[in-house]
Amino acid sequence: MVRSHIVHPLPASVHTLTASGRRIRATMALAAVMAGVALLAGACGEGSADGKSGTSGSGGVKGKTINFVGYGKDNPWGAYFNTVFIGKLESAGAKVVDLTTMDPGTAVTNFNQAISNKPDLIVAALLDTSSMVVPIKKAKQANIPVLVYDGRPDPSVDGDVMQVLSDSEALGIAAAQNLVEGLKAQGKESGNLIVITGTKSGFAAQDRMKGFDAELAKTPGYKVIDNQDGNWDPTLSGKIATQLFAKYGCAGIQGAYGMADYMALPIVAAAKQAGCEVGGKNGVIVTGSNCFKVGIDAIKAGTLYGTATEDPGTIAEQTAGYVIRYFNGENPPKKELVKEERVTAQNVDRYAAQCSKA
Amino acid sequence: MNLLATPSRLDAEAPHQSRRSRTDVAITAIVVLAVLAAIVMGLSTHRFVTLANAKAILTSASLVGIAALGLTLITIGGSAVSLAVSQTVAVAGMVFLSAQSLGLLPAFVIAVVCGTVITGLQGAVVGYAAANPVVLTIAASFAITGVATGVSGGTTVSPTGTGYDVLNATPGGVALSVYVLIVMALVVEWVLRRTGFGRSLYLIGENRPAARAAGLPVGRTTVVAWLAAGALFAVTAAFTAAFNTSANVNLGGTLTFDAIAAVLAGGTPISGGRGSALRTLAGAVLIAAVSDILLLRGYSTGVQIMVKGLIVLFVVVIVHLRAKGRQA
Repeated sequence: MVRSHIVHPLPASVHTLTASGRRIRATMALAAVMAGVALLAGACGEGSADGKSGTSGSGGVKGKTINFVGYGKDNPWGAYFNTVFIGKLESAGAKVVDLTTMDPGTAVTNFNQAISNKPDLIVAALLDTSSMVVPIKKAKQANIPVLVYDGRPDPSVDGDVMQVLSDSEALGIAAAQNLVEGLKAQGKESGNLIVITGTKSGFAAQDRMKGFDAELAKTPGYKVIDNQDGNWDPTLSGKIATQLFAKYGCAGIQGAYGMADYMALPIVAAAKQAGCEVGGKNGVIVTGSNCFKVGIDAIKAGTLYGTATEDPGTIAEQTAGYVIRYFNGENPPKKELVKEERVTAQNVDRYAAQCSKA
Repeated sequence: MNLLATPSRLDAEAPHQSRRSRTDVAITAIVVLAVLAAIVMGLSTHRFVTLANAKAILTSASLVGIAALGLTLITIGGSAVSLAVSQTVAVAGMVFLSAQSLGLLPAFVIAVVCGTVITGLQGAVVGYAAANPVVLTIAASFAITGVATGVSGGTTVSPTGTGYDVLNATPGGVALSVYVLIVMALVVEWVLRRTGFGRSLYLIGENRPAARAAGLPVGRTTVVAWLAAGALFAVTAAFTAAFNTSANVNLGGTLTFDAIAAVLAGGTPISGGRGSALRTLAGAVLIAAVSDILLLRGYSTGVQIMVKGLIVLFVVVIVHLRAKGRQA
């Protein structure tokens, strides 16, 4: 299989061999043949039925340049991910160019910068899937391999990138299981639930809801009576929760799902301020679906029933591992899902350290 | 001459006054209709007129409202707005939670000092060096986030004690932050109306060169206004961090624009020189009430944000037309 970074020197070789017309013609012919082979191999790679990455690197990770267009350090999840990811790759001998940001517009600019840097690999998190479609296509045209992590890309470029993804549906399933388990433990076979999601237009929130709804459908007694967009914003989530508890009253809400722990905890605070009991034998059951230290503390305190992993350390380890396997020529699968775990008071100690990094 | 001139000037002003009074009547009619429409919409919304919902509206208004009171001081003083409210709140909130091991009160005092110093420094540059407040606070917002990210390593600050939970208390069934909002609004209103500082602030906001020519301490008054604003931002920060149980550089969220919206919706003109704390309180409650009506009627968050923008636009246009009418 032809490696993408071997294809790059072709134009350079064409320009340097200009001694005579014959040599030029010969070189052009050779270039055309090689380009044809490269295109054929590339096409085969893209359509590889075995789901392998298809453009695997070679020669190990040492000395390779990776442009990293990840989440910015001003995001706690991103900050820890970046520390683990960059640390692991640099210790393996790779050069990582930090182009991280939390601004979707800047991310597009940085991605374009990465393309012009002509690295061996671009590793990117997609803050805005739509605006990243064109840059990903440009990278493909420039034969620069791209690895996307955490959230999935737009379907139109799904086949153009390698992926190490959080299993968002599993996270939604875990949240639903937490609510059902918590309510059944209270002896409630039916109940009203509210959901405050991350940005609804994003795939992460959509996929989590897909898993959540499917799991909840198995127990028809529990119904989602309100579903609001919390935009991954804890303060907004708290405001919405305050209004929902006023709207339905304590008796009207038996369970609540805030998509991240930092959204679930304001729900807990809003419930308490509304005079509602939280947790325990008859209180509102609240769950998150990706763990942070504050969530773990709340589970131990009994105010948060549960959460699920999606911790940055685990994903960073797997993503860095993928990069190393890719450059070692091991042809990792084109798409990998990170295994997510459900966390409740029963197993919180097992995940406390893993979940307390952000 | 004056006696002779007066009647002719009055004659000339008569059509202007007539036009002005017609404009005033039209504006008043529009405002009354808008308020009536909002009341009718509220009354016809299921579960809007309940005690629990009133508490929810006040709770939602309280965190934005306290910060908006601080911003009111900045705006009345002719410094337009600060665009670094969210960032200041984020840093003060992080400091508040990380200092919980010292106890609630020391942590609160440290947070207030932090917010006051950060905002006061910006006020000093605006007051003494006549820096453009918008440009300066944009730069400050980046600098604050950069320093906070560097110091914290980007991680979320979790509380090191449980004292913060006192701020989530609900004496009499109403959130503590609501009481603080009301008390702070009364205090700021009293300061603006009854103290030399307040009167100076209005004059400086109305006409800075004239205030300077009159010998008013323009720089000092501006700095005091910004210091007080910083203290109020920090109070918001403490309540927000306590409510969320954690804080990072994103704690402030959209607070900058929410606070500006509350100030403008209250009718305080961005040009300064007029306005009041009670108006800002009304603006914060108005926005919270309209958002609540929309949520109860099942409208999405996007619609709520859009309507918030329309309210601000409506009030700004009304204030502008009124001011233009007075000038005419």
